[in-house]
Amino acid sequence: MQARTIIAAITLAAVTAFGSGLATAADPDAATPDEVVSKVWAASRFLNEKGASGFAGFNSKDGPWVWKDSYVFVYDCRLDRMVAHPMRPDLVGRPLMQITDNNGKFIFKELCKAGEDPHGGWVEYLWTKPGAGGVSRKISYAKGADIAFSSGIQVAAGVYDDKASVADLTKLTEKMADPTKYPAH
Amino acid sequence: MTEQKIGNPAVVGLAGFGLTTMVLQFHNVGWMGIGPVIWLGLIFGGLAQMVAGMQEMKTGNNFGYCAFTAYGCFWIALALLLIGNHYNIYVSNKTDIGWFLVAWTGFTAILWVGSMRLNGALALTFTLLLIGFILLDLAHFGYPKLTVVAGYELMICAAMAWYIMAHLIFADVFGRDVLPVGKPWLDFTRIEPEQIVRTGVQEAEAGA
Repeated sequence: MQARTIIAAITLAAVTAFGSGLATAADPDAATPDEVVSKVWAASRFLNEKGASGFAGFNSKDGPWVWKDSYVFVYDCRLDRMVAHPMRPDLVGRPLMQITDNNGKFIFKELCKAGEDPHGGWVEYLWTKPGAGGVSRKISYAKGADIAFSSGIQVAAGVYDDKASVADLTKLTEKMADPTKYPAH
Repeated sequence: MTEQKIGNPAVVGLAGFGLTTMVLQFHNVGWMGIGPVIWLGLIFGGLAQMVAGMQEMKTGNNFGYCAFTAYGCFWIALALLLIGNHYNIYVSNKTDIGWFLVAWTGFTAILWVGSMRLNGALALTFTLLLIGFILLDLAHFGYPKLTVVAGYELMICAAMAWYIMAHLIFADVFGRDVLPVGKPWLDFTRIEPEQIVRTGVQEAEAGA
């Protein structure tokens, strides 16, 4: 009887650990995909409310758009320029479409394409992780921000993760966007 | 005693309307930020145009009185609205600004009808303005890409306002009409009822 209880407890612990995903198993200071999606949605809503006057807040390293090892950045896909970036002020106002990662991927062309979807989209590329040397694998979630007297603005943030796949994260986004399609039971 | 020459307030009103509209479109197509639009909106498109509108009252021009005063207020309201967004004073989101523009579209439609009785250039300016407002309305309600279309379209509108301004100024300084504004689009001569009766009597007498 006692042995069965122990087995049940171990099974439960294993299921809980597996169910909570990779993020909790990894570094607690690493941003999770759920956090990234929430932050990007919040940023998109914030800019919809505040308009162009909200851009400046995204250039601050100490603001609400920087957390753990991640941050939200704002860019204009129509005008091809970085609007705000808390970690790379050198990129602000610069053209983006020609930027490639070490694998030759046009990062912002892909982000702009992914962000056109009303639910947003994920893109995998190589980018410098804040505080770390060299480049890391980053998967970013991009979404449009609907602003008065403007078009083509998008916001994005990412996770530094070696395992997460775009397909899995897309499923997560769909679930967060429409929980009714994915009942809890 | 010679009568003192009085200037036409419309030259200032059209200048402020044209220039501020032009600068907002420079922003809408992406050539520049929103900063200059706010300050010009307060001073030139706003204050100067509104004062011009007030001065139109004494000339007896109800069209100019209403149009310049109202569009002056439009610019002041828009500039304050954007400043309010920055300082979190009654923040207006994109939909709020959309409805603000819808109301101005309705107002513009009324003046557009009136403009057709004045002259061709003014009728064209108001036609372009009305189309521009409709494009901006749609841009704020689901078709954001139309912001750019509205931008180029309203640049032509602003240039037309400057054309009428130039017509008035050049006619004054050159002493003749250098830039014609064309005939009204709606030009029906008003006939009084008594006139019709009188004409009928005259025709009857001539026939007798």
